Amino acid sequence: MRRPRVPGAFAPGDTLVHHMDARVKVVLLAVASVAAFAASAPWGLALVAIGLAAALVASRTSAMTVLLGLRPAAVVLVVSVLSNAVVLVGQPGLSPEGLWRSATMVLRVALVVGFALTLSSTTAPPAIADAVAALAAPLRRLGVPVGGVATSASVALRFIPLTVEEVERIRCAQRARGARLDEGGPVRRLSGWAQVLVPLLVGLFRRADELASAMCDRCFTGDRPIAAGSLPARDALALLGGIVWAVASVAL
Amino acid sequence: MIEVCGASYAYRAGSLAVDGVSLNVAPGERVVVLGRNGSGKSTLGRLLNGGLKPSEGTVRVDGESDGLARLVGYVRQDPRNQIVSALVEDEVAFGPGNLGLSREEVSERVGEALAACGIEALRGRLTEELSGGQQQLLALAGVLAMRPRYLVLDEAGSQLDEAARARIAEVVRRAAARGVGVLEIAHGAEALFGADRAVVLAEGRMTWEGTPQELLLEPRALEAAGLDEDPLACVLARAAADGWRLADGPQAPSLVATAGSHQGESPTPRTRGLLRGKDVGVAYGELRALGDVCLEASGLTLVLGPSGSGKSTLARVLSGVLAPDEGSSELNGSPVSAGDVGLAFQRPEDQVFCDTVLDELAYGPRIRGASEAEADGAARLAARELGVEGLLDRSPLELSGGQARRAALASVISARPRAYVLDEPTAGLDAPARQELRTLVRTLIAEGSPVVVVTHDAAEWLEEANEVVFLSEGRVVARCAGAEASRSTAPFAAADLVAPLLVRLRAAFEGASADA
Repeated sequence: MRRPRVPGAFAPGDTLVHHMDARVKVVLLAVASVAAFAASAPWGLALVAIGLAAALVASRTSAMTVLLGLRPAAVVLVVSVLSNAVVLVGQPGLSPEGLWRSATMVLRVALVVGFALTLSSTTAPPAIADAVAALAAPLRRLGVPVGGVATSASVALRFIPLTVEEVERIRCAQRARGARLDEGGPVRRLSGWAQVLVPLLVGLFRRADELASAMCDRCFTGDRPIAAGSLPARDALALLGGIVWAVASVAL
Repeated sequence: MIEVCGASYAYRAGSLAVDGVSLNVAPGERVVVLGRNGSGKSTLGRLLNGGLKPSEGTVRVDGESDGLARLVGYVRQDPRNQIVSALVEDEVAFGPGNLGLSREEVSERVGEALAACGIEALRGRLTEELSGGQQQLLALAGVLAMRPRYLVLDEAGSQLDEAARARIAEVVRRAAARGVGVLEIAHGAEALFGADRAVVLAEGRMTWEGTPQELLLEPRALEAAGLDEDPLACVLARAAADGWRLADGPQAPSLVATAGSHQGESPTPRTRGLLRGKDVGVAYGELRALGDVCLEASGLTLVLGPSGSGKSTLARVLSGVLAPDEGSSELNGSPVSAGDVGLAFQRPEDQVFCDTVLDELAYGPRIRGASEAEADGAARLAARELGVEGLLDRSPLELSGGQARRAALASVISARPRAYVLDEPTAGLDAPARQELRTLVRTLIAEGSPVVVVTHDAAEWLEEANEVVFLSEGRVVARCAGAEASRSTAPFAAADLVAPLLVRLRAAFEGASADA
C-alpha cells in the first residue's frame, strides 16, 4: 500500500539540482547553513535568500514545501518571536528591536530548512549516505570502516518502509482476531504495542538474517570500497560558485 | 562444472537437512530441483554457492572450493529480503562494487545487467516503489551484474504473478543460452519446461534423477516431488503418457486436447452466510486505492488482480480492520466490525503474539467473552482440526514453516468467525500444503462460512470458486463464475493479468473446438 509523500521526501526529477553530485550538494548545504547564520542583516541575509530562491527554482521545489517543512517547528518559532518582542521588565510593551532580532533569527532558521529540504527532495537518501561516506573517506586512515558504516546506513534506510508495512500488517491481523489496540487507558494501549513488537522483531530479525546472507552471496565482506569518481566540471563550477556566494553574503 | 559429491549438512545435530547428495551442473545446463517444503532444496542451493559449508562431502565449482559466491549467483524467493539499496542503479552496482571493480566497469555492468533483464527504464527509480515482479527482476539483475558462471534460483518465481514469472524465465533462458549453468529450485510443474534435467529431493536425499519427460512418466517420482495431485502436473503427465513431449511446448495440440477434456472440480456449494462489500472506496491521500467495488461472497469468492490493484486493501475492508472512506462491508446484513471476520495472511508470524500455541488459540474466544473453560475447549477443538494438538505448549514463533502456518490458521479459526478472508494464503507453499489449505477452506464453507481468497496465484482455486472478481487499479474490471474463469483468458486480460497455463490450455481447446 502506498502512502502520500511527506514534504521534503525525495521526489525523482530531472532538474539541474537532481543531476548535481550528492557530495557537492552536501558540502553546499553545510556552506549555506554557515552563511545563513553568519551573514549580517539585511544585505548579507538578502543575498543568502536570493541563493535559496535560486536553489528552489533550479530544483523545481515549491516554496510551499519549505513552509510545510517549517510547520512542526512553527509553535517554537512563534513563541520565540513573541518572547523576544514582548518586554516585561522595566516598562512593559513591544520592543521593535527585539521583534527585528527574532524575525531575522526565524528567517535564518527558515533559510536553513529551505536548503535542507532542497537537498532532501532532490537526492535519494542512499545517495546522501554515500556522499557523507565519501566525504568521510579520510577517516579510513584512522581505522574507521567507512564503507561498512555507509552500507549499514543505506540498509537501515531501506528497512524503514518495510518496517512500516510490517507493523501495519501485524496490527491488521491482530485486530481481526479481536485485539483492541487503540482502546483502553495508556497502560493497555502500551501493552497492545508490546503485542505488535514481538512478532515485528521476530519478523525483522528473520528478514535481517536473510538479507545478511543475500549480501554475502554478493560478496559483501563487511567493508566496501567507495567508488567515488571525480567531479564533473559543471559540478565543480557549482561548488566554486556556491562558496563564492557564501563568502560574499558573510562579507557583505 | 559444479560438482557436488556426497554432500551433507545439518542445522541441528542429529537431523540432516541434506543427506549425501551428489549432483553435477554443467555450463549452459538447466537443472530443476523439485521437492516438498522442508525437503532440503534451499539448503542444497546454499551449499552450491558457498553460503553453507557441507559437513561431509565436497562442493567444487570449476575446480575451486573457496570463494564460490563469485562464481555462483543466488536469487531468493522474497525479493524484498535481498534488495540492499534504495535506488535501482545502486542495487545492481552493489555486487560488482564488492568485487573491487573500477567505477567505469561497475557502470558498464549495471547497464548490461539492466538490459539483460529488460528494466533499463527503471534505472533511476526507488526500489521500494517497484512491484514485486520488477523487484525480482532487479534482484536477478543484481546477481547477473557479477557475471556469475552459474545461477541458483531458489523458488524465484513463487511470489510473483504469471506475467512476471514468464519474464524471469525468459531472462534465465537467455542466460543459459549464453553458457550459464542454472539450478532452479521449484515446486511447480511449470519449471519443467526448458529444463535439461530434473532432480527430486525428499527428506534431504536425492530420490530421483532423470529428464523432465521421464519425470512426467513416472508416478513415483511425481509423488516424491509432491506433484501427484497438482492439477497442472496431472494434465502434463496424462499428455506425456499419450505421446506429448515437453519439447513440443505448451502450445502443442495434443497437450491442449488433454487439458480441455480434463474434467474439473465442481464449484463449492453456496453458504447461507453472506459477506458483502457495498460500493467500497478507499483513498490514501490523493491516491485512490479502491473505487466503487461491490462484492457478494457466499461460498468461495476469489479476488484476483496484479500487485498494486487494491486487493489487500479490499481484504482489510471486508474483514473490518480498515474503515472504508465510502461504502461499507456487511456480514449477514449487519456492519462488519474487527473480529467478526477471520483474516489470515500468508506468513504465520504476522498474526501470532502469545507465549504458547494454546494461549494463541484461546485468545480469540477469550476476547470475545468466552469463559476460561469455553476458550480452552474452543482452542483444543481448533488444534484438533488443524492437527497441532501436539504443539500446544510450544511457542508459536519457534515452530517450523508448516506447523507455524497450521497454528496460525487454527488461531484464526478458534474464535469461529462467521466468514473468512485469506490474503495471499498459498504463496511459497508446495502442492501438498496448498491441497491441505483447500481442504480446510472446503470444510469452512461446508460449515456455512463464506470465504474470500485474495491472490495473484489463481490456478488451483478457479474451478471451485463460485465467483471470481478481477481488480485492476482499484476497480472491478471483470467478474464471472469460477468455471468460466477456468477456461477463458479474457477476464484475466481485462485485469492486466496473464492467465495460468492450465486456463490458457483450456481456452485454446475451447477455441479449437469452436472452430471445428
